[in-house]
Amino acid sequence: MVLIELKSVSKAYRKGRAEVWALDGINLSVTERGMVAIVGPSGSGKSSLLHLVGAMDRPSSGEVAVAGQALGALPENALAGFRLKTIGFVFQGFNLIPNLSALENVMLPMEFAGVAPNERRRRAEALLARVGLEARASHRPAELSGGEQQRTAIARALANDPPLVLADEPTGNVDSKTGQMIYELLREVSAERTVLVVTHAEALAQMAAQVVHMKDGKLTDGSQQT
Amino acid sequence: MVALGFRNVARSVPRLTAVTLLVGAGFFLMLVMHTIGRAVEAHTESLQRSVDATLQVRAAGSMGHVNMVAQSDILPPEALDKVKAIPQVEKVETYLLAMTPTEGHNFAMVVGFNPGDTKRLESHGEAGTGRIIAGRDLTEADRGKRVAVIGQGFARWAGIRPDKLPAELTIDLTRTHPVIFALDRPAAKLSIVGIYASGYVFGDMQLFMPLDTFREIYGVPQGLSWLYVKADSAANVPSVERAIRAALGDQADLIAPTTVAEFQTTTTRSVLRLTAAGMALSALLLAVIVYFVMLLVVRQRAWEIGTLKAIGAPNASIAAAFLAEAFAYGIAGSALGLGLFLGVGAPLAKRLFGLAVGPFIPAQYKDTLLDVLSVSAGLDPPQLALVVAVVALVSLAGSAHGLLHIVRLSPLQAMRQE
Repeated sequence: MVLIELKSVSKAYRKGRAEVWALDGINLSVTERGMVAIVGPSGSGKSSLLHLVGAMDRPSSGEVAVAGQALGALPENALAGFRLKTIGFVFQGFNLIPNLSALENVMLPMEFAGVAPNERRRRAEALLARVGLEARASHRPAELSGGEQQRTAIARALANDPPLVLADEPTGNVDSKTGQMIYELLREVSAERTVLVVTHAEALAQMAAQVVHMKDGKLTDGSQQT
Repeated sequence: MVALGFRNVARSVPRLTAVTLLVGAGFFLMLVMHTIGRAVEAHTESLQRSVDATLQVRAAGSMGHVNMVAQSDILPPEALDKVKAIPQVEKVETYLLAMTPTEGHNFAMVVGFNPGDTKRLESHGEAGTGRIIAGRDLTEADRGKRVAVIGQGFARWAGIRPDKLPAELTIDLTRTHPVIFALDRPAAKLSIVGIYASGYVFGDMQLFMPLDTFREIYGVPQGLSWLYVKADSAANVPSVERAIRAALGDQADLIAPTTVAEFQTTTTRSVLRLTAAGMALSALLLAVIVYFVMLLVVRQRAWEIGTLKAIGAPNASIAAAFLAEAFAYGIAGSALGLGLFLGVGAPLAKRLFGLAVGPFIPAQYKDTLLDVLSVSAGLDPPQLALVVAVVALVSLAGSAHGLLHIVRLSPLQAMRQE
């Protein structure tokens, strides 16, 4: 089953008076489950593609559909609901809320989804245990290492059991040994859902079931699928 | 998310301290202004309660005594109905007056009035009223009868003793005096049923009889010497005065107690305007402080807002967290302001009154008003309600712009604002 479908998607940004095309006529289909790596040099449009799929931004033209939902038709408040139920984000800078503990960070998306407090806690504890952080649940982000923070972020991304996890340079701020641990975790996660990873790391790209190469806002090397 | 908003306040202790001090100062100023305003209001209310709101109406240029040389003009019959028709008039008491010579005292006053009304002593104006010390007072049942009560001085002159009541007194209307002219009317015999004392020599030289008895004895079938008009409040005295002047025009003279009204129109209004302006400025200052703090907070936490949006937080939840944070700053500041107010509010209120309010009120009040004002720094339910309302309003108003900014941002825009 196709989970992500992009049809003739373009995205332009204004830089002063100039118009810069970050994405240029992208056609892409991604099926359910498995890991897809998006690789390419800086400025090739990888993150822009991820943002469109994650409903964080809207395309200049073309259609983006995720989990059967055409995103262009959704108003802003509906996009928040869509992100809550369908997408789990893992950022390069972890983006944990600093004054919440690891457990509270993982519980947060469930609060937005209206999960009861006891159930939130139970599920968050289980997710932290899954990423090996049950003993660090009460620690705040500043008290955690980079790897621990990213594992907490992955646990948070799984909080509402979304069919799609989007990871933007997930190993960009951790050392190589920790990076390896993050790769393994994401691969494990991709067994039960789709994980779309933007990465420079060759090792992570090699783990992916599908690799999408990008350059100058376009898919290359036959990555384009229609 | 509301709990997160309250917790966010503690993320920067220097900021919390600075905002608490600024907001606290604003709240302190507001409470002090409110206290001054309330003290002046209370003083005005006290004046309104203690000062008679009664106006005296007489025929123009006349004392209104029916047999007094050049002072015998009385009010026309329709005057009473016109005055009674004024909406703010609570009660009208009617009097007819005459004079009778009494050797040794020059003369005594003879007053016709409605039993039950105030026995007004002419020379005291509305200030005094006699107290029955022997016999009885006049009642409704005495209307039309030739009965009277008499002041103790008049009684002594007439040889009427308190232990010999009722006693008879004859009034000779033909007797004259340099200021009293004769009336071609038969002498009137009155039964004196009571003696009053006023504590004032001339006040005790009066006689009160029922109004219709007076009309019959003195041959005055209509018209009145005086109307005593009671306004429904001291505040309405000026409007009643204006209405009477409009209704009676040149026919009447008016003696009105203007002290309370003047105090209200000058001092009370000025102080209330000043304190209201001070409170509004304080609230504005608080809102501006909260505004800039929240603007700073929103800009500093742009990436956090973006993250919350990215993981599915609805705008309402994010706005609730930031509103709770603004409210928490307001609570911290108001707690400090309240503490300061309870501690040093009263002496500082007096000093502030002298500096900020004194220069704007009339000279006759500004030196004495502060001494009579009861300025106390106590907390009561209205003040607590004021604090809660201001905290809520200031938090909402001050953070409105920041909240709108949050709502309009897309997750990506928010993250890129950092």
